[in-house]
Amino acid sequence: MYAAAKIELEKCIGCKLCILSCPEPNVLLYLPETKQVSVNQQRCKGCGLCVVICPKDALSVSSI
Amino acid sequence: MSTKIITPVDEFADCLPQEYKELVARGPYREPRSVEDLGTFKEIIEEHPHCAGCGVSLGIRLLAAALPSPEDTLIVGTPGCSFFGLVQTALNYSNTAFGNQNAVAAGLKRMLQIRFPHVHKDVVVVAGDGGIADIGLDLTLHSWFRQEKITTIMLDNEVYANTGGQESGMSRQGRVLNMAPQGKRFPKIPVFEMAKVSGCVYGVRVTVASPRKVGRAVRNAILVAREFGPTYVQIFTPCPTNMKFSPNQTLKVAKEAEKDHYTYEEFLSTEVATYLAQL
Repeated sequence: MYAAAKIELEKCIGCKLCILSCPEPNVLLYLPETKQVSVNQQRCKGCGLCVVICPKDALSVSSI
Repeated sequence: MSTKIITPVDEFADCLPQEYKELVARGPYREPRSVEDLGTFKEIIEEHPHCAGCGVSLGIRLLAAALPSPEDTLIVGTPGCSFFGLVQTALNYSNTAFGNQNAVAAGLKRMLQIRFPHVHKDVVVVAGDGGIADIGLDLTLHSWFRQEKITTIMLDNEVYANTGGQESGMSRQGRVLNMAPQGKRFPKIPVFEMAKVSGCVYGVRVTVASPRKVGRAVRNAILVAREFGPTYVQIFTPCPTNMKFSPNQTLKVAKEAEKDHYTYEEFLSTEVATYLAQL
């Protein structure tokens, strides 16, 4: 079973704190068009650092 | 470096891996990028085998994003946790025998200055606390005494994490580890204080909990090393596997250390301060 982060786009405000806290490269990407963050679940290790730092509780870690 | 070197010819464009194509299209080579731009460009670090929530890999990611010119940078590393991520970066990387990294970097810097006299080729040592403070301490100090124009970056996880958790010189006093069951008996080696008196012209002590400060420190250290002399950056990168905390607590542990024994500290001479203010 693999765990990965999931984002609720309704809650994301695009502060980019999660991008600066993620140890994995190219997992959290910033979309300038919508000013929101997207997750590349194939590369995520599910450590949960982004979940802890997100001020809006937009991220969660679950099995994929 | 011209980006022509990395751009594939049309005939071979289809054969290259997807990661390489992305790197050519959206890599950090054409325009300067910084830590603030993370997430908007393809990072030069590729997927790595570090544990989930690893502070070292976060440190590597931040410093790789902060390099002023990644195409003209040579990173010198040494065995340990730090080189798992570094060997898979899209920049020149040289691995050395354990502890020799600063001597090798000094030689490479001198050679590159002769070969490319009109280009700044940055030689950056990125190694763990074992490579710099224990086994390579003599060569590190001597490279500072000789005023070699290289940047030394220590990713300090306070343990030999790669080999199962032996105490390192940088472990805190009293720290109980897998292979130090009675706790460490002597205090942390003050490498940062030694850098001040050993000839480093610029030094910063910072933790991964302050990513923007890490980015600024690495960038300043490399730019100062081009002109003045050796520079030193010490980044606290806690290890969830050996320090036995949950992987999602890495930044919290780093934040607490920032208030305790790892406060942000910077030293620089007046001429370096004037130079940095002009940039």
